[in-house]
Amino acid sequence: MNGNAFSFSQLGTLIRGSAVYRSIVRHGTAETNRNRSLVIFENLFLHVHPVKVREKTLKFSHTYWLGGITVSALVVLIATGILLMFYYHPSVPQAYRDMKELKFVVDNGVFYRNLHRWAAHLMVLGALLHMGRVFYHRAYRPPRQFNWVIGVVLLLVTLLLSYTGYLLPWDQLAFWGVSVGTNMAKEAPILGPPLRFLMLGGNIVSENALLRFYVLHCVLLPAALLGFLGVHIWRVRKDGGVQGPPEPPADDEVEP
Amino acid sequence: MPLRRIFAITSILFLAVLAVSPLKNALRPYRGFQRAFARLGASRAKSLQAAKAYQQQPVAIRQIWLPDFENRVDRCTTCHLGVQDASMAGAPEPFRLHPASYHTPKDTGRFGCTACHGGQGLATLEKDAHGAVADAESPMVPLKFIESGCGRCHTSEQVAGAATLSLGRAALERNGCYACHTVKGHEGFRSEAPPIEAVALKTGAEALRRWLKDPKAVDPNATMPRFQLSASEVEELSHYVFSLAPTRALADRVQAAAAEPAGDAAKGKALFAESRCISCHTVEGKGNGSAPELSRVASRASAGWLLAFLRDPHAFNPRTRMPRFNFSADEERHVVAYMEAEFKDFDAPKEILDPLHVNQTLAEKGKVLFRQKGCYACHAPGAAVDRFGPPLDGIGDKRAASLDFGKRTDIAHTLPAWLEAKVQKPGSFQDGLKMPTFTLSPKEAQAVVTALLSLGAKPVPQPYRSVPTVRASLLPGGAVGALMDKYRCLSCHQIGDRGGDISTAPLTAEGSKVKRDWLVDYLVLSFTIRPILTDRMPVFQMTRDEATQLAQAFETFYLDPRIPEDPYAGQPASSKDPVEGKRLYDTLGCRACHILGAGGGYYGPPLTEAGTRLKPGWTYAWLKGPQKWRADVRCPNYGLTDASALQLTAYLDTLVKSPTASKAKRGGTR
Repeated sequence: MNGNAFSFSQLGTLIRGSAVYRSIVRHGTAETNRNRSLVIFENLFLHVHPVKVREKTLKFSHTYWLGGITVSALVVLIATGILLMFYYHPSVPQAYRDMKELKFVVDNGVFYRNLHRWAAHLMVLGALLHMGRVFYHRAYRPPRQFNWVIGVVLLLVTLLLSYTGYLLPWDQLAFWGVSVGTNMAKEAPILGPPLRFLMLGGNIVSENALLRFYVLHCVLLPAALLGFLGVHIWRVRKDGGVQGPPEPPADDEVEP
Repeated sequence: MPLRRIFAITSILFLAVLAVSPLKNALRPYRGFQRAFARLGASRAKSLQAAKAYQQQPVAIRQIWLPDFENRVDRCTTCHLGVQDASMAGAPEPFRLHPASYHTPKDTGRFGCTACHGGQGLATLEKDAHGAVADAESPMVPLKFIESGCGRCHTSEQVAGAATLSLGRAALERNGCYACHTVKGHEGFRSEAPPIEAVALKTGAEALRRWLKDPKAVDPNATMPRFQLSASEVEELSHYVFSLAPTRALADRVQAAAAEPAGDAAKGKALFAESRCISCHTVEGKGNGSAPELSRVASRASAGWLLAFLRDPHAFNPRTRMPRFNFSADEERHVVAYMEAEFKDFDAPKEILDPLHVNQTLAEKGKVLFRQKGCYACHAPGAAVDRFGPPLDGIGDKRAASLDFGKRTDIAHTLPAWLEAKVQKPGSFQDGLKMPTFTLSPKEAQAVVTALLSLGAKPVPQPYRSVPTVRASLLPGGAVGALMDKYRCLSCHQIGDRGGDISTAPLTAEGSKVKRDWLVDYLVLSFTIRPILTDRMPVFQMTRDEATQLAQAFETFYLDPRIPEDPYAGQPASSKDPVEGKRLYDTLGCRACHILGAGGGYYGPPLTEAGTRLKPGWTYAWLKGPQKWRADVRCPNYGLTDASALQLTAYLDTLVKSPTASKAKRGGTR
């Protein structure tokens, strides 16, 4: 046993001493405050986090994890979405057929498709609840007013992603859903009809619409979402972390 | 630490949930089927090597991909592994060998499965593939109606090898469905129903009332359906019919005929039998049944009308299938006298043929009814066509969810069940529907539904569309055309893809087939070529001039370029050797079906006078492959070489009638 433990620690030392390890993990695990800060600063994936987090903001009732759930759903959506893109052709004769192929032939195809669908529902729901939480915690007030606006944009992009994805299976539900939706857009004054034409690439829900919605769903909207999401999380950090429930007002602030 | 424990447990649970999908994937039913098939195949294999081949088949999805056929992918063979495997005859499903039919099992790779059977070819699960779920997208066609699949590609009226479909298509036409419903390819359809304004000349008030109430009760061969008419509606329509003024010329003919002296019923009886009226009509149910039952005809048509009609049917109804016989005026009177004496309803009241005293108010109401009930779709005077029923194109691909089942909660929610109920009892779905009741036998109903199911929403792509090899030839114009119209050749014979199905001898290649002299003799006095058949060509009392004219025209117009005029051209002299041909005749067993001299079977036509009747080119072409000329023929294809076929032809060509025996023989078959 001792021999084993010895060889393990030897192996550990060997790995930690290697050039490859040291070029990836540059700051070791020395648990000094300085070192912890350095680890965060110099890591692309971690540096969006604040270096220090107040313990009370980690309480569940502070965030209900709603923002986190939304982002996690997004990660699942991107992962499954890329897999689905391998099997999907945005063309009229093929699109619905590909749904069948996913169901009948592709290994775990139904699982990926369902995962994508449920994660999409979860993301919309999470984003809405997150917005409610922020509202009730009065986090839209300065200094977070800018991030509130970013959040509203993110919600809109999320809803648009959800809507554009709805057309892609090219079934009756999709067809009529998009017919109704774009007809609603048409009713907007002045801008309505050209807007609908722009969305559909024509005057009816056709192959052009399918292609447009596909490009929006897989390229433009995800890119916009990721961009705004970066700003959103960066602002959270810059504004001093999550807001949490507002402090109870001091006695002298209470109105008579 | 409870938090860590919760984290650990949820992580494991999460992983377990994630494992469900790959597990389901690994346990898909087709894998089990394929392993079972490998075991079954190995156990039935004749050799060790064959058994190994079964076991070495990888477990994988199998599919038939048809890029030219709507890009179909049929994965049925993933489970139905034995459809083309001869050793799987009689094996349990889903492994059984496909029963032999026209295209199966050899052509399975060309047509796939769903083209005929319906169902969802992409699916790999039984429930989805067979469409056994409520409102499935494309449920399988019940086997009862399987020939509808043939009809998707074969759009001609008669499809060889698909008897039910052909019967159904003929029934659609015969029952006049196309008069009310639009169907592509039948836009020009006109019913054979008599023009309504001439009906009052023929019949009486009581007879008309009985007819309107239920035509099939009066005449079982009637094509007119039963409209659910109340007594007052029957009365109103009768008054309308009798209020119409018939053409003066026709009225005069009937009146003149009624005034003629009666003929001799006994002579009429002989003529009636000789002319073979029951090749189309029936008497007491005996006969072909494609024309009215005659046993009580004298109680629904006046004697004057019968005589005038027999004299010139086409003047009364230009679209009737009845030919004009060349009877002399006396002979005509004899036939009608016979009908008047024998073909009466002796239970009917005396006044059954009395005309109606028209009440104008009722007639006006009847006129409205005539339109409302859709009578005009078949009986309209002139060329007016207004098909007011829903179009039937694409009905075979209708979704069950888009059908109105109305009061019929007793039937399955599927398209075939709906159609079957609809064609049998259209009124049972809802009150006040216009479609009348066609009294169809279960077999006819099955055939009609089969024909309807074959009307797909879109035509099959070009390479799969079966166009009849011989296009419809036009009827010749001039005197010959008039003769063919007079004798209504097309009522029984087919030319190209047109014509009736009573005769088994299409005229399309008649000129390449029979010798002219024989044809002239035959037309003047026709006899039965194949003793087994009951429907025989009527004796029209054609003059020799007319027969010669027709025979000449046939030799000019109805030729097939695939049949050589002189088959011996360019062949060695030995091919003309009838002795070798006789030997072949004996060894091939032709005697089993054909009469020659004293002996032989009854199935095929007798060959005693084959050389008188058939041109050698045709005999040769036929021997090279009988199925090429008639798909349902039983004469086997012996795969004869050119030389053998020619020798046999030469032998058959030597079989000519002896001048003395012929007269007596003909008399016998009359």
